[in-house]
Amino acid sequence: MALQGFDPRWQDLPDYILGVTEDIWENRNIHRLRDWYADDIVVRSPASVVRGNKSVIAATMATLAEWPDRELPGEDVIWCGSDAAGDLYSSHRLMCTATHSRPGAHGASTGKTLRYRILADCACRDDKIYDEWLIRDQGVIALQLGQTPEERARHQIASEGGPENCVQPFTPNNDVTGHYQGTGNGHELGERYGDIITRIMDAELSIIARCYDRAAQLEYPSGVQDMGHKGADRFYMGLCAAVPSASFTIDHAIGMAEDGRPYRASLRWSLTGKHEGWGMFGEPSGANLHIMGIGHAEFCPRGLHREYTLIDEVAIWKQIALHKG
Amino acid sequence: MDGESFEGFSQRWKDFPDYILGITHEIWESRGLSTLNHYYADDVVMRFPDAILTGNQTVINGTMATIAEFPDRELLGEDVIWSGNAETGYLSSHRIITTGTHAGHGQFGAPTGKRFTIRVIADCAAKNDTIYDEWLIRDYGGMVRQLGHDPKDFARDMIERQGGPENCVKPFTPDQDIDGGYHGRGNDNAWGERYESILTRLMNKDFDLVAREYDRAVIAELPGSKTAISHREVDAFWLGLRSSFPSATFEIHHRIGREDPMLPPRAAIRWSLTGKHDGWGTFGPPTGAQVHVMGMSHAEFGPFGSSDGTVRREFTLFDEVSIWKQILMQTGG
Repeated sequence: MALQGFDPRWQDLPDYILGVTEDIWENRNIHRLRDWYADDIVVRSPASVVRGNKSVIAATMATLAEWPDRELPGEDVIWCGSDAAGDLYSSHRLMCTATHSRPGAHGASTGKTLRYRILADCACRDDKIYDEWLIRDQGVIALQLGQTPEERARHQIASEGGPENCVQPFTPNNDVTGHYQGTGNGHELGERYGDIITRIMDAELSIIARCYDRAAQLEYPSGVQDMGHKGADRFYMGLCAAVPSASFTIDHAIGMAEDGRPYRASLRWSLTGKHEGWGMFGEPSGANLHIMGIGHAEFCPRGLHREYTLIDEVAIWKQIALHKG
Repeated sequence: MDGESFEGFSQRWKDFPDYILGITHEIWESRGLSTLNHYYADDVVMRFPDAILTGNQTVINGTMATIAEFPDRELLGEDVIWSGNAETGYLSSHRIITTGTHAGHGQFGAPTGKRFTIRVIADCAAKNDTIYDEWLIRDYGGMVRQLGHDPKDFARDMIERQGGPENCVKPFTPDQDIDGGYHGRGNDNAWGERYESILTRLMNKDFDLVAREYDRAVIAELPGSKTAISHREVDAFWLGLRSSFPSATFEIHHRIGREDPMLPPRAAIRWSLTGKHDGWGTFGPPTGAQVHVMGMSHAEFGPFGSSDGTVRREFTLFDEVSIWKQILMQTGG
């Protein structure tokens, strides 16, 4: 059954999300962003807040000029909402490959073929995406191009005209209220995943041994592949330790239990507070940090079995560098 | 339990996967080596790509030697795909991630402190709380690489260390096989049949099916601790293997499909390629050596991006070192 208000070409929301992504990026129908992105869309990534589909079109072309063979196969779409209510919301995980073929925002072309994950949350109605939150694994992009995320952040500030003029990372101060006001579907799997991450952020790291499968496969920022209880502890301990008194909020949670698919959940969350501890961002700088995270989890009878979590480390190092001046 | 009962086992285990995960933990990590006397039959037959072994005392000694070399070794059970009943025997295809530190002396020489993480798939037949027939593949190529060696060189050194091509331990080939008592062929679940058909057609050189039968974001975990993503890389893997043994006979030995709560539909296949190394591919210039490739594959399917469902995750193991060993034993390489 077609989606109400959408082109009958799309069978359902995952089909729409996968389809427009491929059509825009791989089939070069970049002009269709005028139809598929609302005029006043707000796209928040940890690196910036972009408004309006014209800006999105410009950024898309700049990316494709630098990475012309970019492919974006979708690994999963975890979604909620309804076409009738106009609050369809998709959390899309994709694994991107692209060759750095031409000079661009990442400097002179290196000829390297990169692989990195993206998690993109989009609100959709009437055949359009009207609100978006997106995280690219900028850490692993930097590493594959031969820079640490910290070096990449400093380089970015310099090439964008210094601390005064550079693009400002996303923080609550420059956020723009969009049209989507939902917080998810209240499904028990979303609640369960939200509860696990909330407890971890509240320093109850012992929850990991109780709630993660001991063979859990974990995919974390900077392309880190880890596993098991120790792997989850390594990542979350490093993050929590860097911002020990930050406030943590779950901004959006979806759970899905469908036949023929793993039980799964998606979360969008934020950590906001001072960089006042030793952890994954090195020496405490006192900078005020805003860390947006998106996570996808799959559950098996033994617990949380697979997790894909992204934050943008380059954008966080940029906040630290801007604070230091 | 999907029409498949669980009988003849200690009440300690709530189901067959629980038994498999439980005894693996008990033997390896809780150091219950002596429990092998109970959990493994006296005359158990175990086929590894590098040798066939019999008897639980052999297992105990082999286990001890491995623990001595990698004392912190952990075995984390990722999945148990199973079939059977009390009458035919249960067969579990158990996918494990194993990790450890090279902290003791053994076949990898003096301790290096290097860590490894590899996958293992163990097909075990069990009845009445006891494992009596087994087929197991470790990603030996991945382990060797992570400990700083090359699989081909490692195989060459191994032949020499074991006394040359005449005297060295012979990798497993069908002529050495011993009947261990399990004669099941799996089950008739549609997902197992589907995966059997996919692998059979791939090995029949119908490589264009990758684009239809695999999701475009497929992730495949492959021998040598390699990860392939996308149609292109999955195609390159299967094509590279077949191209090394273009005239070999492909056989499916065991096939399971399962639909379990919470999980995607899954399949487990044990297969082999037997024949001449007479083509260019993953194993370098053709040598004409006679080779037996023992293989196991697990797949997860999903109705995502295609209404019929496609392979979204694949896990395939064969032992590169044992393949190189067979080639080098015959060519002197």
